Amino acid sequence: MMKVKYSKTIAIVFKNRKFKVGFVMLLAILLMASLEPLINYIRLGDKSPYEYASFDFWLPPSIEHPLGTDWFGRDVLALMLIGLKNSLIIGFLAGLVSLLIGLPIALLAGYKGGLTDAVLSSIIDGILVIPTWLIIMVIVLYMKRVSMFTLALILGLFSWPFLARCVVGQVRSLRNRAYIELAIVSNMGTFEIIFLEILPNILPYILVGFSNSIVGAMMAEAAMGIIGLGSTSLTLGMYIGSAITRGFFFRKIFHLVAFPILLLLLVFISFNLMNIGLDELFNPRLRKITGL
Amino acid sequence: MKMIWWFVEKFLLYLASIFIVFSLLFILFRLMPGDPISLYFQTLACRYKVSISNYQSIVEEYRKAFGLDKDLFTQYICFLKNVILNRDLGPSILAFPTHSQVLILRALPWSIGLLSIAALISWCLGIILGTVLGWLRGGKLDSIIFILSLVFSQIPIYYLGLILIFLMAFIFGLLPSGGAYSAAIIPRFSLTFILDVIRHAILPALSIIIVTASSFIISQRQLVISILGEDYLMFAKAKGLRRLRLLYRYVLRNSIIPQVVALGIMLGFTVSGALMVEMVFNYPGMGTLFKLAMESLDYNTLQGIILMTIFVVLTLNFLIDLLLPLFDPRVRYGEK
Repeated sequence: MMKVKYSKTIAIVFKNRKFKVGFVMLLAILLMASLEPLINYIRLGDKSPYEYASFDFWLPPSIEHPLGTDWFGRDVLALMLIGLKNSLIIGFLAGLVSLLIGLPIALLAGYKGGLTDAVLSSIIDGILVIPTWLIIMVIVLYMKRVSMFTLALILGLFSWPFLARCVVGQVRSLRNRAYIELAIVSNMGTFEIIFLEILPNILPYILVGFSNSIVGAMMAEAAMGIIGLGSTSLTLGMYIGSAITRGFFFRKIFHLVAFPILLLLLVFISFNLMNIGLDELFNPRLRKITGL
Repeated sequence: MKMIWWFVEKFLLYLASIFIVFSLLFILFRLMPGDPISLYFQTLACRYKVSISNYQSIVEEYRKAFGLDKDLFTQYICFLKNVILNRDLGPSILAFPTHSQVLILRALPWSIGLLSIAALISWCLGIILGTVLGWLRGGKLDSIIFILSLVFSQIPIYYLGLILIFLMAFIFGLLPSGGAYSAAIIPRFSLTFILDVIRHAILPALSIIIVTASSFIISQRQLVISILGEDYLMFAKAKGLRRLRLLYRYVLRNSIIPQVVALGIMLGFTVSGALMVEMVFNYPGMGTLFKLAMESLDYNTLQGIILMTIFVVLTLNFLIDLLLPLFDPRVRYGEK
């Protein structure tokens, strides 16, 4: 029974064009990032992509180095792929952390209602309203050398309200539907109701919330990179930050900063397209207009 | 009577949230590993080759000045008393004898000026363009601007700032790359100074406006489309109301309220983004001060800036909450 419901939701989702485009874009980016070790091995062999002066400095783009080399004589394309991979890992891990924190809280708040809902909802709204980036920056600043995973954990601790906010309203409205009442009356357990009746129906909203959390975390990470804060692993944001301090403006090598920005932008846009597609599908008022 | 209770409840909630946030921030800053004073002297020693022979006694001296020699609870009480009653954030490390609030108050007008003007422009622009797009949905104009704003709304503000600096300042040389006014001009109330300030503010403001307006365009378009699907609009159309009146009375008025709420929610995000833009442009506002304070581990100033931004955002949200019933007859004072 459970299987049918989940697969049905998934089948509906792929009918929307915006969702499909976003999904394919994201898949391509993920593929590119996951092939990073292979591509770098083929292009650079055993040589470390971080190696100082592996090539000449500040080389313009050529067939050998499609994006040229940078201020330390490193191949830019290789570094971009590593940065993309690490940025995505941080984003997805932070998204996972927010899923683990945000979903139970949203379910609890929406399902229990009353005072629990009021308290949890105001906590969610409170964290959303506050400019949390500054707090994250201060934490990372004082922790000095954080690993990629610690950073993802910190980002997740602050980005779960993005997810919870998307989900809680839906749970709240489902709670009062007749079929949930029926499930309660027919003596189904709370967990059974949540997993069998509520979760399949809010799946699209969980997806929207999950991608919001990922994007939020990746944006915060990129913001920190620009002023030289971040984990010990190279990410796109950190690469941009170091490009600025290494005289990118004065050398006028546009692609050095434009390319990582473009990569991040593609990630954000693909998530956003998926969200808009889901919104068009599952927001009944929009469905009427778009004629789906 | 009901209205007064409603107001009291809202106000108490607002005060409570500020109190909770202030307390949590105090705890957060005290949880940080290492003592800020000795950490500061360690960085001094390794960065500027300062040798300190009577290290312990100097650190003790400073700890006394910063009030760090007392136990945590006394520190907390002192912190609350100083911040709330005396509006005193304690001495800064950045410019030692000067207190942090002096530095922050010096930077505040620049931030407020930049952000408020940029936010207002982008909000109005987003509402107007979004309404037009929703009205003309499916057309060529709609699809072009929609895709553009979809792309621009996803660029982090500070990255757009970087691109703008690169293009406008370094390639074309049209506008200054940073700062708030030229070093050659004496800051006083004169036309040349004002024009210079505006010239310096164009790029940072533009990067905030483009991104924020784009996201308002998208949400407003979505809102307008969903309103256009409502039954009452169908009825109004059937009555033969003129299109402009329809647009103004039925569509715009119904979409303003959710957008005012959205402005409140977006505010925190926009403030963070705007502070990052200041760092990129070296604009002498709170963002740049934050960056400087981070470099010298000036925890009092860092704490002060975070307190200030949170206070401003929470207060604005509280005001929006209060004013909402004025715009929307459906939300009455005293009713949920």
